[in-house]
Amino acid sequence: MLYYDQYHVPETLDEAFDLIHTNGGNYKVLAGATDLLPWAREGRGGDVNYESVIDISKINDLSKWQLQGNRINLGANVTISQLLNNPFLRKHIPVMAKSAVWFADDQIREQATLGGNLVNASPAADATPPMLAMNAELTLERKQKGKIIQRKLPLDEFLTGPGKTRLEAGELVTRVECDSMLGYGSAFEKVGHRRSLVLSTVCLAALVSLSDDGQEFEDVRLALGGVGPVPIRLKESEACLISQPIDSDLIDKSAVLAVKHVQSRTRQEYRREVVYNFVKRGILGACKDLNTTFADIDTDMKHRGNYG
Amino acid sequence: MNAPLRIFPKQKRGRGVAAGWYGIARTATIDRAGAWAELDDGGTAKIITGVTEIGEGILTVLAQIVADELGIRPKDVTIGDNDTARSPEAAHAGATRQTYMIGNAVALACREARQRLVKELAQKWQVSEDDIICSNGIIRTLDHSQSMTMSEAVQYCKNRGVVPVGSGSFTANHTGLDPENGSGNPWQAYVYGAQVAEVEVDTETGEVQVLGVWASHDVGRAVNPQGVEGQIEGGVVMAVGQTLMEDYKQEEGYPTSMNLAKYILPTSLDVPQVNSVIIEDPDPLSPLGVKGIGEPSMIPTAPAIINAIYDAVGVRIHSLPATPEKVLAALREKRERADTHEMLA
Amino acid sequence: MASFDIQMTVNGRPVKQSVSPHLRLLDFLREELHWTGSKEGCGAGECGSCSVFVDGVLMKSCLMPVAKAQHSEIETIEGLEEQGKLNVLQQAFQKTGASQCGYCIPGMMMAATAALRANPYAGREEIKERLGGNICRCTGYQKMFEATELARDVMNGKLTIELLKEEKEEGPFIGSNSFRIDTSSKVTGALKYAGDMVMPQMLHMQVLRSPYPHAEILELDTSEAEAMAGVEAVVTHRDVQGIDGFGVFTDDQPVLARGKVRYVGDAIAAVAAEDVLTAKEALKKIKVRYRELVAITKTEDAIKTGAVIIHDDVPDNIVMHIPIRKGNVDKGMAEADFVIEETYYTQPVEHAYLEPEAGLAYLDADGTLVIQSPSQNITHHRQKLAKILDMPVNRVRMIMSPVGGGFGGKEDMHYQGILALAVLKSRRPVRYVFTREESIIASAKRHPFSIKYQLGLNREGLIQASKIHMLADAGAYNCSTEGVMRKAAILAAGPYAIENLMVDAIGVYTNNTPSGAMRSFGAMQSQFATECHLDLCAEKLEMDPVELRRKNFFKEGDETHTRQELGSVSMLEVFNSALDLADWETGISNSRGATRSDLAQSGNRPPCTLGARQFPLETIPTGQAA
Ligand SMILES: Cc1cc2nc3c(=O)[nH]c(=O)nc-3n(C[C@H](O)[C@H](O)[C@H](O)COP(=O)(O)OP(=O)(O)OC[C@H]3O[C@@H](n4cnc5c(N)ncnc54)[C@H](O)[C@@H]3O)c2cc1C
Ligand code: FES
Ligand code: FES
Repeated sequence: MLYYDQYHVPETLDEAFDLIHTNGGNYKVLAGATDLLPWAREGRGGDVNYESVIDISKINDLSKWQLQGNRINLGANVTISQLLNNPFLRKHIPVMAKSAVWFADDQIREQATLGGNLVNASPAADATPPMLAMNAELTLERKQKGKIIQRKLPLDEFLTGPGKTRLEAGELVTRVECDSMLGYGSAFEKVGHRRSLVLSTVCLAALVSLSDDGQEFEDVRLALGGVGPVPIRLKESEACLISQPIDSDLIDKSAVLAVKHVQSRTRQEYRREVVYNFVKRGILGACKDLNTTFADIDTDMKHRGNYG
Repeated sequence: MNAPLRIFPKQKRGRGVAAGWYGIARTATIDRAGAWAELDDGGTAKIITGVTEIGEGILTVLAQIVADELGIRPKDVTIGDNDTARSPEAAHAGATRQTYMIGNAVALACREARQRLVKELAQKWQVSEDDIICSNGIIRTLDHSQSMTMSEAVQYCKNRGVVPVGSGSFTANHTGLDPENGSGNPWQAYVYGAQVAEVEVDTETGEVQVLGVWASHDVGRAVNPQGVEGQIEGGVVMAVGQTLMEDYKQEEGYPTSMNLAKYILPTSLDVPQVNSVIIEDPDPLSPLGVKGIGEPSMIPTAPAIINAIYDAVGVRIHSLPATPEKVLAALREKRERADTHEMLA
Repeated sequence: MASFDIQMTVNGRPVKQSVSPHLRLLDFLREELHWTGSKEGCGAGECGSCSVFVDGVLMKSCLMPVAKAQHSEIETIEGLEEQGKLNVLQQAFQKTGASQCGYCIPGMMMAATAALRANPYAGREEIKERLGGNICRCTGYQKMFEATELARDVMNGKLTIELLKEEKEEGPFIGSNSFRIDTSSKVTGALKYAGDMVMPQMLHMQVLRSPYPHAEILELDTSEAEAMAGVEAVVTHRDVQGIDGFGVFTDDQPVLARGKVRYVGDAIAAVAAEDVLTAKEALKKIKVRYRELVAITKTEDAIKTGAVIIHDDVPDNIVMHIPIRKGNVDKGMAEADFVIEETYYTQPVEHAYLEPEAGLAYLDADGTLVIQSPSQNITHHRQKLAKILDMPVNRVRMIMSPVGGGFGGKEDMHYQGILALAVLKSRRPVRYVFTREESIIASAKRHPFSIKYQLGLNREGLIQASKIHMLADAGAYNCSTEGVMRKAAILAAGPYAIENLMVDAIGVYTNNTPSGAMRSFGAMQSQFATECHLDLCAEKLEMDPVELRRKNFFKEGDETHTRQELGSVSMLEVFNSALDLADWETGISNSRGATRSDLAQSGNRPPCTLGARQFPLETIPTGQAA
């Protein structure tokens, strides 16, 4: 159980920082609490004591989003349910909605926040791969000597290991900024042990844009979760397709290149094969999402397992 | 003009079948259950027996049995506490013995209580006890010449100084097994079941979805068919869990799946449509002819699914659960075998 | 301790209360307001038995600090009834028989309500997705889907409310779908399970459990815990007055560890205190010194000569060996045209009844010890307890509280004895409610089996001989191992007439979590092997697996494997009816899924491709197509 004596619900960032300041080291920040409460149980974190908990979920500013140029700027408190259901967000970053349908269940999605998902830094976090693929950058803020100190970090630099980030003491993630993906086709692939309330064994976000004639990949973004200490962008796999014709051998090569990123401690062989299949499936799914028509692609197992 | 994007389906379907059998009530030992019944004021009935609901529906089954035995309605039946200090022994709630053992014990108790009542009325009406029937809250003579409500009948009986109570003890005469060769009569009632399963296997992830199960089970006599279906559906799904996902893991004796995030149960999105058919081959050795369904419902499911996976993709999984990982590994092995075969050829 | 002023509306009633801030909404509802309809199945967001509406949005109340719900409107299961009558959805659950043990029902009802509020026209697939956060262990969900659809159609006026009535008012009732007499108590949240019960002066118990799979206890010092304020009793094996030991078949398990622990989770000592937190704190003050022993965690190791002994009186670690012998197996195999062998494995399985174990015990006015718990075997538990406590049998009274799922897992008396000791020592009512984690590690599992299967058949597909060797992990205590071995052995060879037979089922002690009774009790494991093996044999024989079975099924008058003469045998009829129902296409046994014509008929559900139905993302423009 999570034990604490004080529960604070700041309504502005300023109040939150003041509370952080007055509570010294013995506090815990909480947003949706969907990671924190299950963690504070036997077999995981066990019983945990804090002097106070600072619930940031009522800070209104952190629940807002806006379009800035071709970037979407999201508050850290945006919930997974908003990512799933909000028409504006579905238009600009539909891959988030596609990942969100797989995320926990209806009820948890109402509470779970984007910020919490990223800060919690689970290797299997479902919001992370799509965010990586959309070049997400975090805004981190803290207050020092009465002044707000703000810094920005790309998501891939922010995440350093399972449960580990570059978040510093007293710091909050306030915003998450990512590309608007208008014009891209997208796909999100996930496999676990069941269909609802399921942790990803492997998940993949794929984003594709095509040349005007529909013959070439203009841009390809791929990111993978569940297979190593942190979710990662598949730069090499992307590079081998960008500005290349849509060709089954190339897609296959791209998939092969992804396999070496499997660094999990368990179920390696399984994950390698799924990664290979998911990259192919993801790319084709994203193409299909664009409603495009082009040459027949044979996606049948080429490599018969001897990838990587 | 380019051809439309064609994506080859990676999902393959197949079907499998399996049969199974089971014995009703305690194994290889005499089984017994007791119950008390009273035809109560207002034409209601009070039943006391040492068991309660664990979800299987026994209370409803007992109420239906009592209603038919006494000629009243299930809603007129009150079932008393399951309490070692207040009720006779019904013994344990398990072994698919509830309907069989306790159902029959309750029926016997009701028959005795009814007989007490009927005896008084038979004298009053000057007919033989066999010529009296009770149904829907009315007690009457076969020729309809005499009748009264059960409520009146109970009152009449009590006015004559008789409380219409009864007790029942039901025995299942099972014998122990010979320690050397295992011979013996472990049960007196057997049930049989068979199920077909249809699966879809994703050959890229190894996931198996069970889409349909067609189940047929002999239950002796279905007291409440909907309840029987409920047991079949629940049993099938419990077996789907064991077949595909559930695994209590320990590493050197230390449990590693000690919560429901790690111990994976089927959700509403993982379950097949279950189609049931109930077969009734009544048990000749007991008053009611009922047998049971709780446990046998899940026996054929796992092998039916495993056989269906083979039908779909040609791999046999010999160890449960058939996780995506195992299925994909088996598919890989199969491919590699085929490759070696090709190379040698 | 600090307090927090909470103000909210619960089921339309305003509530104002000062509480410990660390309470979760679920604790607040259950423990402070005594709205016990919402249940705690897992405490970690994984089961949905705690689902309630918070300002109209369905949430898992175990994941919500109560302070988060400040000033909100809460609706729980107890708020669903309309003017004291079941609402349409509740009636629909009644009509379809959608509740069994009932423990998931409060959450499930709320989820179904949420589904229809979100979309009054939701189809089956959407309903399924919206119930996807709520686990039911009993029903297989199907009747819940049906109930939700039925309610939807009645609410939309597509079906009349008359349809929700009971199908039969007049007898005979056997053979009809009478309403379950327990439904209304379940769909309203009115039914009290043991963990919902409270008594004046009640203490709360917590149990210290072994962190090691196998260890000697060198020292057990409870003095510091006893000295704590708020602690009313600390109990250990030293408090047992009678003959310690319980079990379904042999009494090999002490109420609390005696000099030795045999698995991770083995109970060692318990504290009864004024509140759970104090009891937990007191556990930390109990000093235990262990000497770790070699742990046996594999069945093969348990039966090696010289293996560590887990129970002194069972030097070979074999709990039970059930042999069945009939005819001459060697001869049968020798004469068979085919002898086919394979080994099958099954895993340990958790019952995962949605209701974690709980019990409330107290002394009656006349000094009788009363224990209310969801025990599946009160008769047996009473006998055992009387012996353990050295009390006359009639001074021990066991009451079976409503069982929120059992599946065999609540046949073991693994906490009632501890509660009894705590009550006798404190002379006060004591309640003990397991967490999900505790329930999983402490309670027995389905036995994992390894099964070596050898079947001899002739060319026509008649079974000539069957040899089945099963080795099962009983874990640290016998529990129901003896019975499970017996049932596994008797039923292993399946409903098939076999002249030559040799079956062995052997259960062995290890230092794993004990294995015990679980729905279908060994027969599930052994027949899994049989039915997989028959398909394998059919393939080798190039036969239709259906035909192979039909040829060998028992018939009336046949002798079973234990040489019992069978009366009427419905096997063939049952088998044929399953195939008919499925519209099964016959054919020889190979992997013929690709060419079958009987696939994808109406008895199937569509494959689940998440989101594709409920969330038609395709309809949202993602940009201009190339
Ligand atoms: C049953 C269940 C199923 C789940 N399924 C999934 C799933 O399918 N996919 C998935 O990815 N996750 C899943 N989760 C995990 C969880 O819901 C998500 O990670 C969620 O996004 C966490 O957000 P939160 O707001 O609830 O985090 P909280 O629990 O409130 O916080 C998590 C951590 O982040 C910190 N934190 C939160 N916000 C900030 C901030 N703005 N600045 C600094 N620190 C912050 C907190 O201090 C804490 O350490 C599941 C959880 C449960 C219980
Ligand atoms: S989800 Fe709250 S108790 Fe299980
Ligand atoms: S009825 Fe759903 S868990 Fe028992």
